[in-house]
Amino acid sequence: MRKRKLKKAMQYEIFLLPAFMAFTVFTIIPLIKTIAYSVTDFDGVTREYNFVGFRNYISVFQDEMMRHALFNTLFYTLCTMVLINLIAIPLAVLLDKQTRLKTVERAVFFFPSIVSALLLGYIWGYILSPMQTGALNSILANFGIGPIGWTSTEWGAKIAIILVAVWTSTGWHATVYLAYLQSIPGEYYEAAAIDGAGKWQQFKNITIPLLAPGLTVNTLLLLTNGLKVYDLPYALSNKGGPGYSNYTVTQMIIQRGLSEKQYGPSTALAAIFILLVTIIAGVQFMTMRKREVDIT
Amino acid sequence: MKKKRIYGSDFVLVPICLVFLYPFFYMVTNTFKSMTEMSFNPTGFPSSLYLDNYAEILSNPQIYRAFLNTFIITVCSVLAIMIIGEMAAYPIVFFENKLNNAFMIYLMVGFLVPFQAILLSLFEVMQTLHLIDSIPGMILFYCNGSALTVFLAVGYMRTIPRELQESAIVDGCSIPMVFFKIIFPLMKPITSTSIIFNTMWIWNDFISPNIFLNTRSKGTIVLEIFRAKGQFSVDWPRFMTMSVVSILPVVIFYLFMQKHIIKGLTAGAVKG
Repeated sequence: MRKRKLKKAMQYEIFLLPAFMAFTVFTIIPLIKTIAYSVTDFDGVTREYNFVGFRNYISVFQDEMMRHALFNTLFYTLCTMVLINLIAIPLAVLLDKQTRLKTVERAVFFFPSIVSALLLGYIWGYILSPMQTGALNSILANFGIGPIGWTSTEWGAKIAIILVAVWTSTGWHATVYLAYLQSIPGEYYEAAAIDGAGKWQQFKNITIPLLAPGLTVNTLLLLTNGLKVYDLPYALSNKGGPGYSNYTVTQMIIQRGLSEKQYGPSTALAAIFILLVTIIAGVQFMTMRKREVDIT
Repeated sequence: MKKKRIYGSDFVLVPICLVFLYPFFYMVTNTFKSMTEMSFNPTGFPSSLYLDNYAEILSNPQIYRAFLNTFIITVCSVLAIMIIGEMAAYPIVFFENKLNNAFMIYLMVGFLVPFQAILLSLFEVMQTLHLIDSIPGMILFYCNGSALTVFLAVGYMRTIPRELQESAIVDGCSIPMVFFKIIFPLMKPITSTSIIFNTMWIWNDFISPNIFLNTRSKGTIVLEIFRAKGQFSVDWPRFMTMSVVSILPVVIFYLFMQKHIIKGLTAGAVKG
């Protein structure tokens, strides 16, 4: 009897095996190694290394480039999260309305999401080129406005990165909102109209509350993807420039770790980064759970 | 039959669409210009149908190589992820026990850890296993991206009635066969969502091939764009041509699959 039970269990558990192996080898083992390196002075070459406590973690905050990278990534994440949500909701409402070119319009806004972010960053780099031949500068030249160095200053590049990110992903997030909008029964609006609610009141009291789960999903995606950002700033600001002023955390981990072989500080930054992502996802997950409880 | 008319929202949306599409217009028109023409006319239409850029880009055998590599990597990885991911969901849903719950937490950990953060040690692990600079290595590495697929599959599988599985077993179907013959075919909607998610991610991925594939002949199309940026840093029209050629397969795929892509992605997001 027990043998049969075990056989049955084996038949099921074998299905877990491939995923378990891939995960262990490519995620869990590197994760453990990363955390282990972050408290040693390992340099990637010598076999000997010592435990150094939290020295690497302190060095992250003493290193101006790393501080900068942390700030840039957080700033990017926050700005894109707010701006994209603010634009995507009205855009979704517009796309939900009766229009002549519905399919085409929806397809257009979604389109940048399917193209590589690296490529889009480069194309925008040409449009915003500080040179006279840059598209924007040559349009402005018609009005007698001299060439402007859009991405050649730190803040110019930062703002450009955020705006281009808004351009690339708003369509995607609007599409998610659109899916939620379409699940709101039309009767709600009819009933509200009979009760004398105006368009704005309907929007505020029906649309916004029923979009809340969409807001949770979009915010979670924007936060986690924002923290991981790499391709777009790298391409648009000429590898994190000017200088290192627009480095992202990911770029910093690669530079300090893979290029400069500073294992300790690089892995310490990585560990801080993991903690950050986990906290944000955890808080999001809790609020999502709470809302589910509220509804049921 | 509805009457064809123009609605108020069109007046708002169409102009926004045009502005929104401008970068693509800019990219395509400049592929038909020579470098000199672009320097005095960067934003307008080309004066003639200048095709030298395309001739040069398309005569480079490397681009076909890169397309082939990207295609092989994407198709194999997505296939592997789908099989591995949906298989893993099976015991989690139909054979609940402590071990499987623990595995879900294990997956959650891996899902939350951004791969960028563990890059350094990951590189070491891949080096030890001789998976650096190898296309099969790349495919194995992508299998690790199956967490999202497992979560989506678990969510969907819970909606499949248990009786279906139980009655199949009573009828003499073995436990593994139930999955392949009955459960897997029922998962079609969520399978297509996952396929789209994973295809878009892997096809456009830059960071991992850039780190793990060093030899040019093994590179992907995104890496070719990256190289072209360095190579044609002054020759903008040539870079634009390279860009247009590189996104052409994606555009064709999008045009045919547009409805499914948008529906599939949002179905996943709404449920997940």
